[in-house]
Amino acid sequence: MSPSFRAGAREGFRTCLPVSVGIIPWALVTGLAMVGAGFTAVQAMGMSLIVFGATAQLGTLPLIVAGAPLWLIVATALVVNLRFVIFSAALARPLAGASLPLRWLCGYVLTDGVFATTLERLRSEPDADWRLGYYLAPSLWCGLMWQSSTLVGVLAAGSIPRGWSLEFMASIALIVLLVPMAKLRPMLVAAATGGTLAVLLRGMPLRLGVMVAIVGGIAAGFAAEHWQARRAGP
Amino acid sequence: MSYDWTLWLTFVLIGALATTLPRASFIVLGERASLPEVVLKALRYAPAAALAAIVVPDVVLVNGAVEVLNPKLGAAVAAVLATQVSRNPWLPFAAGMAALWLLR
Repeated sequence: MSPSFRAGAREGFRTCLPVSVGIIPWALVTGLAMVGAGFTAVQAMGMSLIVFGATAQLGTLPLIVAGAPLWLIVATALVVNLRFVIFSAALARPLAGASLPLRWLCGYVLTDGVFATTLERLRSEPDADWRLGYYLAPSLWCGLMWQSSTLVGVLAAGSIPRGWSLEFMASIALIVLLVPMAKLRPMLVAAATGGTLAVLLRGMPLRLGVMVAIVGGIAAGFAAEHWQARRAGP
Repeated sequence: MSYDWTLWLTFVLIGALATTLPRASFIVLGERASLPEVVLKALRYAPAAALAAIVVPDVVLVNGAVEVLNPKLGAAVAAVLATQVSRNPWLPFAAGMAALWLLR
């Protein structure tokens, strides 16, 4: 580890400390929700380590509980994670100096919070080693916080009666994620269309309705943005 | 409820194909690849559309039929209100679960 990697790591850790604390309630809730869905502690921690993504985990739980087909579960997780393709594209240049295994690691530990907090500095910092430390150290730290807090949630869930419907925590978590998104008009249109279509098309075979609803929601959001821009004038 | 080995297959597929692959995509490909502007724009709407498509049926359907006045919808409304009155990360969960239990 070069001195500049370590300097970057220290700086990144300091910058992302508040973000890593914000992870704790999410991880606890995800742990509770997974046990609420009927997973054993080993299954829950397995999902946490293999998937390592709150939205994908919480979003697929209702589908797994409902016994949805595997392809639909995986496709739904992929759609909620498509934002990472955009994040990944933004990080490609700042992290270009790292080795291939390290770049895979950088991908695995990519989270919304660290991305949003570090991107600005990553773009302007000239030292590649410093950038890698600045990104990787807080990302690994957040991963550790996530896994340990999830474990606490999983273990605590065992002492809570089943009748308390803990699996509903997953739905609340998804709502909390949706609310700030829906403050932008086209986003609200995308969400309203996706939600309404999913209800209307629930009778489609193989739960295809969910996929059609998502595609319809994306199209509606895209169209709403277009109209908004046109109304605002050239 | 208990699950068989296919649950692990589900985890691996979600983890590898649906999570790590999109995250690592361009970091691993480097600057050789890029996405057209239109695709990037459309992708921004994917999370909102998908989250709503999962959560809305979950809160308005009771045994497969639309039921507007049900405890889950009340709980959802309480959670949304909680996000508006405070930045406390626990409040939406406390309010939502409390509403769910009270309305039952």
